Amino acid sequence: MTSFFEVERRLSLYLRALWGRDIKLDAFADSQGAHAHRRSTIAGDFISLPQSWADSADRSGLALYRAAVAHASAHLMFTTRRFPTDGLDPLQVATVSTIEDARVEARALRAFPGLRGLWGPFHATEPDGSVTAAALLARLARVLFEENYRDDHPWVAKARRLFLGQQDRWEDPSLSLTLGSLLGKDLRQLRAPFDFGTWVVEPAYRDDNLGIWDFGADDEVIRQGARHSGSEGGRARITPGPGVAAGEAGQSTVLTAAGPEAWSTELLSPPVRYDEWDYLIGRERPTWCTLQECAAAQGDHHHIDQVLERNRDLVNRVKQLVRALQVQRPIRLRKRIDGDRLDLDASIDATIDIRAGQRPDPRVHVTIGRRQRDLAVLVLLDLSQSTNDRVPGAGTTVLELAREATALLADAMDRIGDSFAIHGFSSNGRHEVRYCRFKDFDHPYGELAKSLLAGMSGQLSTRMGTALRHAGRCLNERRAHKKLVLLITDGEPSDIDVHDNRYLVLDAKKAVENNSRLGIHTYCLSLDPKADRYVSRIFGQRNWTVIDHLRRLPEVLPLLYMRLTH
Amino acid sequence: MNPKDTHGAAGTHSAVRQYVVGRKPYYRPVADEVRLYEAAYAARLPMMLKGPTGCGKTRFIEYMAWKLGKPLVTLACNEDMTAADLVGRYLLDADGTRWMDGPLTLAARFGAICYLDEIVEARQDTTVVIHPLTDARRVLPLERKNELVHAHPDFQLAISWNPGYQSVLKDLKQSTRQRFGALDFSYPPREIEIEIVAHESGVDLQSAGRLVSIAERSRNLKGHGLEEGMSTRMLIHAGALIAQGIEPMTACEVALIRPITDDADMRDALAAAAHACF
Repeated sequence: MTSFFEVERRLSLYLRALWGRDIKLDAFADSQGAHAHRRSTIAGDFISLPQSWADSADRSGLALYRAAVAHASAHLMFTTRRFPTDGLDPLQVATVSTIEDARVEARALRAFPGLRGLWGPFHATEPDGSVTAAALLARLARVLFEENYRDDHPWVAKARRLFLGQQDRWEDPSLSLTLGSLLGKDLRQLRAPFDFGTWVVEPAYRDDNLGIWDFGADDEVIRQGARHSGSEGGRARITPGPGVAAGEAGQSTVLTAAGPEAWSTELLSPPVRYDEWDYLIGRERPTWCTLQECAAAQGDHHHIDQVLERNRDLVNRVKQLVRALQVQRPIRLRKRIDGDRLDLDASIDATIDIRAGQRPDPRVHVTIGRRQRDLAVLVLLDLSQSTNDRVPGAGTTVLELAREATALLADAMDRIGDSFAIHGFSSNGRHEVRYCRFKDFDHPYGELAKSLLAGMSGQLSTRMGTALRHAGRCLNERRAHKKLVLLITDGEPSDIDVHDNRYLVLDAKKAVENNSRLGIHTYCLSLDPKADRYVSRIFGQRNWTVIDHLRRLPEVLPLLYMRLTH
Repeated sequence: MNPKDTHGAAGTHSAVRQYVVGRKPYYRPVADEVRLYEAAYAARLPMMLKGPTGCGKTRFIEYMAWKLGKPLVTLACNEDMTAADLVGRYLLDADGTRWMDGPLTLAARFGAICYLDEIVEARQDTTVVIHPLTDARRVLPLERKNELVHAHPDFQLAISWNPGYQSVLKDLKQSTRQRFGALDFSYPPREIEIEIVAHESGVDLQSAGRLVSIAERSRNLKGHGLEEGMSTRMLIHAGALIAQGIEPMTACEVALIRPITDDADMRDALAAAAHACF
């Protein structure tokens, strides 16, 4: 048995590698007794797959998952619009679907010939004397896929001839509709028995083809009650369901305890006003945004210790890396009174002095010392409402993952001995940008900081530029050789009073530039898979990473930090 | 030593003759970089070659040195490098001390192209020694020797760096950056990359095309679990293995997938994507 969650990351990396775009995957719950007939399904941008697939003697569950996502993604790439069902009978719908499957596969094979080896083993239908429409459709699927495979049934042979004869039209989805309608009519005339309600698409890796049809006014009803796939009734998305969360109550108690009201409105300092860049007028709007520092709500600091406990393996691995980071940076200290080697330059100078009759400088040794890290890091967390979204397959929220990751990072930074602060922000229009400090530079990373981290919650919007300016101001007061703002965000800048997306993006870019002028580096870790569109605009070409898999955030963040500061 | 003291067919001074690029290096121009570099050289403008690892920066500069008929002094920078490693130092010999020019001084004195590879690896206090050579002065003060070297008319400075290299502690100072003209290097367009891989590794065009397809797949994953996509250089290595008779998928495993990542899921996804291309 192969579980979807074991292979999800491999599959999504695979799809990104093939098509260069983000295709979302999720799993639907199993229904009893329908194992053999479960098919994947496409809904919008999502490919929904069964929660598990059995391994068999000749192929693994992973191979089936891989074949399924490759096929479904070919639909997403090449079935450019959904077909209307108007005027088509069920046999025609089934035939059009089968031809469209063959068409998108043919197009995918043009780009990736190796996919033939992936899909081929699943096409094993042989003529067995039965002339049901379902059997003929399965034979049609095979004959259209395997160019060298012959099937002498007149209808199958005709379909093959027509399809292969129109290779120049394979680019055009309406080919499937034309050919399918025609052949569906022929099939009806053969009076082959067909029950659309129990028809299961063959071979097993193909999706149920619901995603390529537009059922008009009844669209939603039909999708809900999808009968002709084995996943009937149970096709509820399991990922965002609240029921899953309940099962992990132990982990999310703190989260629920700190609701939106946990944000104190108590102001810690007078409001600070910041300029904001308006790209339309090409200048800064003076004192445009108001930032208020609020007290952070406290949670239970044991929660953070539990996080470390739960990730013991990772903490140990990070510990080793930290040790390496502390000792691995040797630096040659020249001109020492004593040391393990002679300093060639100093020795030569000394000899020159001796020959010249002068007193030589006795500091002629080299010793190996350790490089001092002189670094101040401000971790800035985006605490907007969207961080409360659940992460598919992880049974937890973005915020919870960010909290775990921050706890692990803080633990690492504390061990390394770097000076660091953890701040967070959210906004409610330009007059109310909220900013709170979970740990400040001069405060120890102890119980108080941990309980504040445990109490953090997400709400409102993301006015990134103002928060970055404030973080820059905080860092500017520090004395350190290198200063870094590490921003962790799950989406692009947005706020309720701005409707032009570019406005806040360009303001954030300006804030990053201003910080850089103060000698402060800004690095962004984005959790938004679509972030490529805007992050490089804000942070420059190299100062960002999009995390490929949210569940790995706690693992990635400390390692990213070490790579950045190595 | 007098800069005018040159001899030899190419008019190259004997001190830098060993740096002359003898055989024509293979370089396949992608855009108008050759014309731009020639113009930059004619104006003796210091140049910066930016781009990811393995995309042809070093090969380009070798080709340009050959084309311009100038010796090429290459220096791979590292963080232990001192200014003395660049400009030179006194050595002892039987009669007393002897000054030994460093590679930068050598190039400046006798008219070579000096190429500092991966300049950001050097410490910032080291890189400032190139400043007086890269503006209108074109001089190199040798403080210890109390000499001011006026750069030979043929001298030019070129540096390379990889802007994708992610460490906030390593960056080029503005005062250094702004002395250079820059050429952006990237992986060549598909058809040209196929041609390069086929030429350099000896595989046929079809195999080269597949290797390039695999590289394109990996470049889709840059920033999503991979730091860099597969470079043209890696493809040439894979092609060379195939040309030696290694089975193509095995060659891809050895030369492409295993070196680029240790992440098991990523390796699996890359291997599956590579399969899709064959």
